[in-house]
This record gives sequence, C-alpha cells and structure tokens, in this order.
Amino acid sequence: MSEQSFLTKMLTETALTRRSFLKWSAALGGTAALAGGVRAGLKAVEKASAASEGEWITAACWHNCGGRCLLKAHVVDGVVTRIKSDDFSEENDNMTQLKACTRGHAKRQQIFGADRLKYPMKRKNWEPGGGKKELRGKDEWVRISWDEALDIVASETKRIKETYGNKAILSPVGNGALNLSAWPVGRMLSLYGGFTAIWGTTSWGALPLPGNRMQGVDVGGVHDRMSVRQSKLIVLWGANPVWSSAGNPTYHYMIAKKAGAKFIVVDPFYTPTAATLADQWIPCRPSTDAALLIGMAYHMITNGLQDQEFLDKYTVGFDADHMPEGADPKENFKDYVLGTFDGIPKTPEWASEICGTPADLIRSFAEEVSITKPTAFITGYAPARTNRGEQFIQAFYTVGWMTGNVGEPGAMVGVSCKERAGDTGPLAPALVYAGDPGVPAVENPICNYGFPGPPASATDWHGFVWNEAWEAVVTGEFTASVRGKQPCDIRMIWNIGDMSSLNQLPNVNQGIEAFRKVEFVVSADSYLTTPCKYADVVLPVTTMWERWGGIMNSNTYHSSRRDIFIYHRQITEPLFEAKDDIWIEAEIGKRLGLDPKVIDPVPYKQMVFNMLAGAQVVKEDGLEFENLLTITADDIARLGVDGTPQQGRITYKELEEKGLYQVPRKPGDKLGLIYFEDFRKDPVANPLNTKTGKLQIHSQSLADDVTDYGWTKLPPIPQYIPPPEGVEATRDGEFPLQLYSIHYMRRSHSTYDSVPWLREAFPQELFMNNLDAEARGLKTGDMVLITSPHGKALRPVFVTPRIMPGVVTMGEGAWVERDDETGIDKAGATNSLNGTNPCGQGVQPWNTNIAQVTRWEGQPLLPDAQWPQRVVFGKDA
Amino acid sequence: MAKQLAFYIDTSACTACKACQIACKDKNSLPVGLLWRRVYQYQGGDWMPHPNQPNIKSPVSMFAYSVSISCMHCQNPLCVTNCPTGAMHKRDDGVVLINADLCIGCRYCEWSCPYSAPQYNAELEVMTKCDFCQDLLAKGEPPACVAACPTRALNYGELEELQKQHGGLAAIEPLPVSNITNPSVVITPHKNAQPSGRGTGHVANLPEEI
Repeated sequence: MSEQSFLTKMLTETALTRRSFLKWSAALGGTAALAGGVRAGLKAVEKASAASEGEWITAACWHNCGGRCLLKAHVVDGVVTRIKSDDFSEENDNMTQLKACTRGHAKRQQIFGADRLKYPMKRKNWEPGGGKKELRGKDEWVRISWDEALDIVASETKRIKETYGNKAILSPVGNGALNLSAWPVGRMLSLYGGFTAIWGTTSWGALPLPGNRMQGVDVGGVHDRMSVRQSKLIVLWGANPVWSSAGNPTYHYMIAKKAGAKFIVVDPFYTPTAATLADQWIPCRPSTDAALLIGMAYHMITNGLQDQEFLDKYTVGFDADHMPEGADPKENFKDYVLGTFDGIPKTPEWASEICGTPADLIRSFAEEVSITKPTAFITGYAPARTNRGEQFIQAFYTVGWMTGNVGEPGAMVGVSCKERAGDTGPLAPALVYAGDPGVPAVENPICNYGFPGPPASATDWHGFVWNEAWEAVVTGEFTASVRGKQPCDIRMIWNIGDMSSLNQLPNVNQGIEAFRKVEFVVSADSYLTTPCKYADVVLPVTTMWERWGGIMNSNTYHSSRRDIFIYHRQITEPLFEAKDDIWIEAEIGKRLGLDPKVIDPVPYKQMVFNMLAGAQVVKEDGLEFENLLTITADDIARLGVDGTPQQGRITYKELEEKGLYQVPRKPGDKLGLIYFEDFRKDPVANPLNTKTGKLQIHSQSLADDVTDYGWTKLPPIPQYIPPPEGVEATRDGEFPLQLYSIHYMRRSHSTYDSVPWLREAFPQELFMNNLDAEARGLKTGDMVLITSPHGKALRPVFVTPRIMPGVVTMGEGAWVERDDETGIDKAGATNSLNGTNPCGQGVQPWNTNIAQVTRWEGQPLLPDAQWPQRVVFGKDA
Repeated sequence: MAKQLAFYIDTSACTACKACQIACKDKNSLPVGLLWRRVYQYQGGDWMPHPNQPNIKSPVSMFAYSVSISCMHCQNPLCVTNCPTGAMHKRDDGVVLINADLCIGCRYCEWSCPYSAPQYNAELEVMTKCDFCQDLLAKGEPPACVAACPTRALNYGELEELQKQHGGLAAIEPLPVSNITNPSVVITPHKNAQPSGRGTGHVANLPEEI
C-alpha cells in the first residue's frame, strides 16, 4: 500500500474549488469516505451508487495503439464513476464484442490524473530569445494567463520567422493521435509560411519501399480474419499482438486456433502471444531475421521444397532463368543462397551462427512452412524496424513466396500486426467509413512530407528524418537524399499538436542538447510530457473526453478493424484551464495576423456532424455503399448543426445510444478480402502494380532508391549484410548484449505512462536471460545500469528463460527522467539508449542496438507506481 | 450442496494483459497497493548448448503461463473461521464478504488466506477484498473483471455448473493445493500448466505486481 493514495494527492496537491474537487475525486471514488469517516463513508458510497442509475456514455479511446475499441463511461450527476467496454454486441466467432484493453480500463485515472496540466505556464528564467537556456528541464514554472502565453508564443514565432525565415521553425509533431485526425497538425504554421517538418517510416520500419517495389503494395498481403481462420498454419514473425495490438486481435487469432490452425512464433522473446498461441517458438536474435530466412531458403532449395511452379509463373528474380529485363542473370536469389558466385553456401549452420537459431530447427521450420498448405506467413513491423531492415522484408517475402502461399483462402504472405492485426492490414479498404469533415487541406510549403517520407528523387522539401532531427539542430546539417548534406539553422521548436517528440525520437541525450540550443521552445499537451518539461512555454490541452464528441472510423491507420464505426461523445467539461489545440492554434494565428476563419473554417461540432452525415457503409454485394445513418430534421435541430435529413442503414439515435456500429460478417459473404486473388487466378490479365507486373524477388529500383536516400546501399535481391550495432558488434566486448525495444502493455507509445494503476501492473523491467543474469550475479528485482554507446538507464531486471541469451529488451515510451550530472535516465526510456543510425528509406532502427548491463550499486529506485507524478501546480497555485 | 458462486479461469486463453486487474481497480476505485484481482506469471526452463551445435544454445523445458486470481470465495474459508469479530462472513450464495462495521483491521484473515485475498487498506484501517461485484450481480450483470476480459478467459457461475462444463480442476501452479480451503474456482489448464506443489518453475512477477 502506498503512503499516499491518489485521492489524498488530489486533496493536498491541487487547489480546486470545493465543488469541482468533490466532483473529480468522487470520480475516482471515496470522497465521502474522507468527508464522513471510514465506515460512514463506505455506506455513503454504497447509497450514492444505489441512489442514481446514471448514464453510460460512449467515451473516446483514441491513441496511437493500433486499436479502436469501445469504451463507455458511467456518468452519475456529472461524475464518472466507472468504465466498461462492449457488452451488448453480437458475440460469436464471426462477430465479436469490441472489448477494450487494459489501458482503456484505466482511462478514468488518466483523464482525471493529478498530473493533468492545469494552466498555461512559462519557465521562470525565460526571456525573449531564450534566457538561461541551460535551465530548460530544471527551471521553476510560473503560472501565466492564456493571453500572456499566446502573446509570448506569437511574438517569438514572429521574431524568429522575420529574423531567420520559416525554415528556422522545427515542428517535430504529427502522428495525429491527440488531435481530431481530420484536423491536420501544423495547419496554422503552414498558413504562416510553413516549417521544417520531420519525416520517416517510424513504426513501419523498412516495410514500405520493398513492399511497393516487390508486390505493389507498401504494407499488406494479409487477408481478412474470415480467411486467416482457414489457414492450417499461422506463422507470426516478430509479432506480439497481445502487447502491440491490445484488445481484439489476439482473440481473433484464438478463434483461428480453435478452428484448427497451428501457430509458430518467431521472436527473440517468448512473448505473451507465444505463451498463449504458439505450438512452437523459433528463437531468433534481433536484426538477424534475414539470415534465418536465407538459411531456410537453402534447405528448401537443396531439398526441392520450394513451389517452383509458382515461382516460375508469378515471380522474377528467383533463378537465372527468370530475371527481370536488364538484370544481371548472376544476380539471382538462388545462386546467392547456394553461394555459386561468392563461395559461401548460406546453409542453416551459416544462418545459425548469426541468428542463434539451432540449425536443426531452421531445417524443420523450413520443411513445415513448405509442406503445410494453406499457410499464413505473417510478419509484424518489428523485424523491419531494424538497421538494414529492408533485407529482412526482402527475404521474408521471398521465402514466403517460395512456399506458394499467395492469393488463396488461408494462404498469404504479408504484414499485419498493429492496426487490424490478423484481419487485413492498415491499407485495406474499409467496409464502413466516415464522411469528409469539410476542412480544406493546407500544404506546408517547406516540407509537405511526413509519414513515411518523400520519394527518393524528390527535392522539394526541407525537413529531417526522425532520427536525424536532433543531430540536425545541433550540427546545422541534414541529409537531403539526392541533394546530399544540406545546411539548416533551427531557432525554435514548436511542439503544439500531439507528439512527445523529445521522448519518442531516438537519442534523447542529443535531443536535450537540441532543446537547450534553440532560442524558443513551446509545447502543448495534457500532461508534463518530456517535450513540455524541457520547454519555455507550456500550454494545457484538453483530452478527447472534454470535446464535443468525435468519430473513430475504420478508414484510419489506427483502426482495429475495417468493419467498425465508433461515435463517442463529450464526457466532461474541460478540466482546469485546458483548451482544445484547434483553439490554441487559431488564437496564435490571430495574433500573427492570420484569419481565424481560415485556420479553423468549420466549427468542431459541424466537422463531426459532417463525418456522421457522410458516413458510408458497404452493401451486401460488397461493391456498392450506402449512407450509414438516417438523420432527421429533429436530430439536426437538437445537435444545432447545418445539415439536411437523410436516409441510411441505422438511425442517428441508435448510433448515439450504442456508440458503435459493426458491419455484419459471416464466412462466405462478399465482404472478405483476399490479397492478390485475381493475380493468382490470372497473372497476365491481372498484373500487380510492380515494374514487371509480377512479384519481384529482384528489384533494381528498390536498390537504387534506397541508395538515393543517402544512408545505405541495398542489393536488389535479399542478402544478409551485418548492420551497425547488430549481433556482430556484440562480439567485440564492451557492449556484449543486443538491446531491442518492445511495445509494452503499460503504454501506447508514451501515452498513459504516468497512470499509477498501469505503473503498478507493468513495472518497466529490463528482460534478461537467466544465463546472462547468472553471469552477472543478478536476480529478478535487482537494480541494473544499462549502458549503450549513446546513453545510460537504470531499471529493475526481470530474469527469465523467455528471452534469448545475449539479448535484452525493454518497453519503449517511458517518460524520460534524466539526471543531468550522471546522464542516467531513471525511467528507462529506450530512446535514452538508442542511437540515431539513420538508414534505408528513412528508417528508425529501434531494434538494432548494443548494450551492457551491470549491477547498480547506488540507491535503488522505488517501484514506478510509487514515484510522485509530475504535478506542477499544487495547493499554492 | 448449498448454492456457491465461483470464478472460471481459462489459463489457456489468459495473455497476462491484466485488463481484469485494472477493471477491478476502476470498478472499486482501488489505490495503488490494493490488488483484489492480480495476475501471477509462472515460468520455468533453462538454456543448454545444442547437442549438434555446442556453440548454439537452445531452450530446454522452457514454458510460461499466467493465472488471474481474486478472492476464491472458498467453501472452507479460513478467513471466516479465523475472523475474531465476525466481520468476515459467507453469504447464502457462497460469496465471502467483509462487514466493515465489524472489522477491526487485525489482519488475521490476511494471515489465514493462502491466496492473499483479504488486503489491508491503511487509509481506511479496514480489511478489503473482492466482493464478487455484488452490486453488479444483483442487477444480473457479470463482475467487472469477467466483463473486461478481452480473450474471454474469465467467467463466473454456479460452481457445480462450471464443474460440469469444465471439470473439477481447482489448482495449478503457482496456486496452493486446493484442499486447504476448497476454493470456488474452476480452471482450464494451459497446455504447460503444472500441478500445484509439484511445479518445476517459479513465480515471475516483480513484488509490486502481486
């Protein structure tokens, strides 16, 4: 039991009016217990909950987690007393309730957290142009009015633009999980002349370009869940949906398991997904997956296990007889594998030395995927989020295609792990989608590229790849693909519009240096996240619970399924002085002489209504769409929006009450999706969107484009080339362990990290193999210092046979707590340990790092759940 | 046999995601430190040089699974037997409850319970524990933990009914053998589940998790 409960903290650390205190603390339970004594209090709480039934209102759960699940908040007299999830939808193997994950159930403690930012504030020593910039991150905070805050931001922005030009403003934001996705971040700055943006493939790692050139689809290939269920064997390669796609996907895989599928999980870690689903675990060291795959290919080729007929008909580049026009016949995959020209046969033993997987296991695994049909050969994003990650996905597709599992029910080779895991992928067309909110797009004239980045040949941009952003600020130089190195001069960091940039970009230590270098830093968020902590001016932003409502539709990157539509509503008034970020940008723009009507042309409520009125749902024929909603004149009048009545599949009232619409699905309906089905039936009549119209094991344009980006040289066929900071680098001694980052149940990236219930459940431990721990005399719970070439972190160790020897891992996204003196991050943010190492097409290789772990002899850390939250203004404000 | 409500735990479907634990904390507004429902992780095994490749290590007898538990609302609840004030009592439907008016916070029940179900709330100076969400049961709704489970690994019902459906297993590692208190629980074992008292693994949580 902690010394001080959350409730007591609310009482002592906040200066709320009595009325609002009662409201919010009752929302977290037990105010009456404090007011009226223990026993009386318990009775009072019982009585209160019995007295009023309250109302269940659909509440947003909107983060960058890959899921969109149903949450309902129980509101009694304006107080949120409880959360629940979907308990009303049809529930069978075809239709499942849209259950929220662990984090969704902690939402009350997140929204009403004691650490919510309450007021605009500035750094005590801030003055125009900087003012003791080295104190960023450790200065005192001074509460200021909204007017003063907005005036400061506007005047510094104007001064910097007029002195140095728009390129001097860096806005490292843009994953769109805090904002309404319809309202693009950076809109105001774009209208004001633009800004230096960041771009990169982030979560997708090296997937998009190889996908594009080899199969004509950046990220895809996995059929919908009805078809996945027809697979006899499901291989999950580097995918842990239990943590990285929490909520429903694991349950869908369980339905496939019940239907008879065998599961093989390939991962350095015997993940919770492996423990639940796997019939077999194939351990494979981080960043060595290409070697494992090439070793499998050797066994398949030398035993004639590949589907040669399929390869001949549907692919190019496998052997010298089937090369794309203009390619050197010697540059074929088969001869590389056999070592015909380089003298190195890529045997399972060769692979084993690299990937750590026993050669016997490589052989039996290769046999099993070759002979089992239909097989679903599915990878997550993680193995591609590596240095030289292109070689992984090249090898993955190639070995997958060698089995011939393409374009038929249950047979697939593709990528699916986060959004819609095991049920298509992020780019599959939605079966129900929202209308256009009606806000015209605005281009950033300086860099209009974000995710996944500009084409290799483009030169119309001035921006930084994610993992070079801080280096560019510090050194004044950035990599500009075909233009080579280009100069830059950043004077301001603008963190308004959702992203915890300083926490989530690699190399936090260099990031702090960058933050302390520039003349002005403004950050906005609902909590004192890392970029807020190191800012000059901080602006408090509302959460989605404090806004009029919104849609979580299935045509976004973050949708858990392509057949769901969620309409969430306002749960509470804005807390303290928090404002919507649309309002913040419009107010700053007004001060810069822009027309607020251009910045914010459609009122929020109207935008949401437009998305509702324009929502379309597929008909049973799988081709035509119809209106989702019937909307009456009464509905329009009650909502106070502009619109015309319309006919649709369900009434507005029904959607408002339930909050969720699911498109009915059953096996054999016309709504399923089988990737490359037409191509499989007739590859001549239905060519793919690739240069040859076939699946390309050999792609010269892929190799050329990667080279053009300016960091990596890539062969046109899959090969294993050791990456910097890969397993080979651990053999030199100083950093003998491989470190990779995992998505962790406590958070969605960095979101939720401060929620005590989640900190208690998931302690941000370093996972280490028992042999490595034994060698260091470590046992579970011991404090360890983790050192990499780029930083240091302190954490409790979790000793387990579930991770491979020589490999350690930790959840990404912990809120950095760096000690300036020692450089040690006590929170264990993986970006404190990750170097930058830009590579490929602008890839952030979070899973390719080396480290050393030693016993920490200093003061041990308290468990994270007992750390004080980042509460800025307490009772004295 | 009298009516007895019980929990059903399908450990083959449990992913250790802890949605049940958090839903419990939300439903009961529990502070950090009180875990009326919590998830034990049990693991074992080792890594040995591969017989054909001495420089490559491979996992031997490696396994891991998890068990979500709350109060077991036992048929022979030692907490009730040992409570000096009668605060701890068993209802007609078998649910074990605490009468807060009678509880003196002596923590004898905590000492008696092999499942660490009764937990002391220092702020309120009373014992607290899972009450099977009796208010929800009264409305015909499932307990919060059961409703929350994303993999449908938790359920509840009449003990005899659950036993008919899923068998009589009431203990696997790392739970204690069931003949101490006769817990009202029915377990579907994970494929690697080990019998209570005869396991080769160990509990793998950090102390604050359990």
